[in-house]
Amino acid sequence: MGKVLMKGNEAIGEAAIRAGCLNYFAYPITPQSEIAEYLSRRLPESGGVYLQGESEVAVSYMIFGAAGCGERVFTSSSSPGISLMSEGLSYIAGAELPCVFVNIMRGGPGLGGILPSQADYFQATKGGGHGDYHLMVLAPDSVQEAVDMVMESFRLAEKYRNPVMIIGDGLIGQMMEPVAFRDELKSEPLNKDVWASNGMSTRNSKTPNLVKSLFLSPEQLNAHNLKLKAKYEQMAREDLRFETYNMDADYKALIVSFGTMSRVCRTAIDDLKEEGIDVAMLRPQTVFPFPEKAIYDAALKKECKIVLSIEMNMGQMVEDVERSVKGQRPVEWYGKCGGEIPTPEEIQELVKSRL
Amino acid sequence: MELNLNGIVIICGTYGSGKTEIAINLAMYSKQSGKDVCLADLDLINPYFRTQEAEALLKKGGVALVLPSERYIQSDLFVLNPTISGLIRNPRELTILDVGGDKPGASVLSVLADAIAGKDVTMLQVINPFRPFTETVEACIDMLNALQESSKLMVTGFIGNANIMDETLAEDIHKGYDFVKQVSDKAGLPIAFITCPLQLFSEINFEVFPCPVMPVKRHLLPPWKK
Repeated sequence: MGKVLMKGNEAIGEAAIRAGCLNYFAYPITPQSEIAEYLSRRLPESGGVYLQGESEVAVSYMIFGAAGCGERVFTSSSSPGISLMSEGLSYIAGAELPCVFVNIMRGGPGLGGILPSQADYFQATKGGGHGDYHLMVLAPDSVQEAVDMVMESFRLAEKYRNPVMIIGDGLIGQMMEPVAFRDELKSEPLNKDVWASNGMSTRNSKTPNLVKSLFLSPEQLNAHNLKLKAKYEQMAREDLRFETYNMDADYKALIVSFGTMSRVCRTAIDDLKEEGIDVAMLRPQTVFPFPEKAIYDAALKKECKIVLSIEMNMGQMVEDVERSVKGQRPVEWYGKCGGEIPTPEEIQELVKSRL
Repeated sequence: MELNLNGIVIICGTYGSGKTEIAINLAMYSKQSGKDVCLADLDLINPYFRTQEAEALLKKGGVALVLPSERYIQSDLFVLNPTISGLIRNPRELTILDVGGDKPGASVLSVLADAIAGKDVTMLQVINPFRPFTETVEACIDMLNALQESSKLMVTGFIGNANIMDETLAEDIHKGYDFVKQVSDKAGLPIAFITCPLQLFSEINFEVFPCPVMPVKRHLLPPWKK
């Protein structure tokens, strides 16, 4: 198929359908409402179910229910809506159910604003809900990558029986870019009969599958948490992703940046190169698991004097960058969090002032 | 063929069809041809990539602007600038109304029905066949009917805006023209003009098109392209 011109939000909706997900429950909120708008038209045409819940809390349990029955299901929201869904997310992670959550982030805290932000990094990567759990978190930097990640996220969710979250700042949802939908990213649902509560007659079994997050025995709950922990470690071994830019040069500074912020950094790196200053970038595509070792190795390159974590928030990922660098190089945060996006010029000035 | 639009020109169409870029480019193009031009942003739908992002350029170019009041611009509410009805009653030589997408976007026009009543208005539907929901002639006609129903006005013509942004090829402009011609034939309404990205302008033989072609430069850019 040829390319089409799509808004990120529309493309995310279409990608889910192309991946074989025909269940979508959501509640509208700027700047992600076009996902719901798009799917309210496209899902019924495709034989799927579109349902607007009465609230995000309700939506998160609709997702729990559908996923528990072995259905491919996803939802989308923006920051305050994800906060409301966080209780359900904890239950879903506890019950080990595969499903996909998309957060097109806006500024916060509270109602914040409707412009682009990356201020939900902590919420996405460190929990959000209660208990010892993690989501697998992917962060696209373009509409095309959002499409590819949505399509792949169902396979990843099923591989780990764990919710996958895709975080994009408002620009990912609102900007239009050419996209293609790659058939090879379509995946077949993985052995749901082993765990889904989809009726014993449908799978010819003698033992019921129980979907639950309640473990009253301390030994069982500890063992359950150890099993979850082992899954998170497996994600880091098998599905960690990142991209590098200008890493072959003798760079003096290393930028770590994700999502559309990294595209601004890329422009700044190109402009700095023209002035004879080499800067490299490492862009985490998975922010959980986090590319700790890759950042450590990149930071320790001989000429590299400083590591800059550039984010559209008040300094969140920088904590993971510091943890990765282990004190071997100075690490600094730079960013904004009101809807303004740092410009390439600002980043160039920042780099120059630190070298 | 020379592009020469006058009076009140309403730009409407499917969500994301390129209305705002066309409105900005049409305003600049017409102003450069010596016209007295005003551009009014009536988009109550889109939160990002709005006309005000090109405010400095338009003002420098001498285009009069009616934008949503600054205090409400980020409110995420449908707020219409109250000076718009006055502008419609006393239009400039060319008054461009940039309307939001789909039926909800066009419904703003029904609010202005009293001001518009009795005026000779040109209402143009923008069509980009590379966008969802306007890939077929039938879908474009459905959209035409929906826009008319919601705005209580009649569409008078089409703007062909075939593009895939930076990846547009010269052949896409020709395919896009052929497509909008089919829509135009089916609806019995003329093509007002088609657009061509500025970077492709030298590759196109305009004589093959029996309608004007307007060069389009993108002004609403993400921060890494500015």
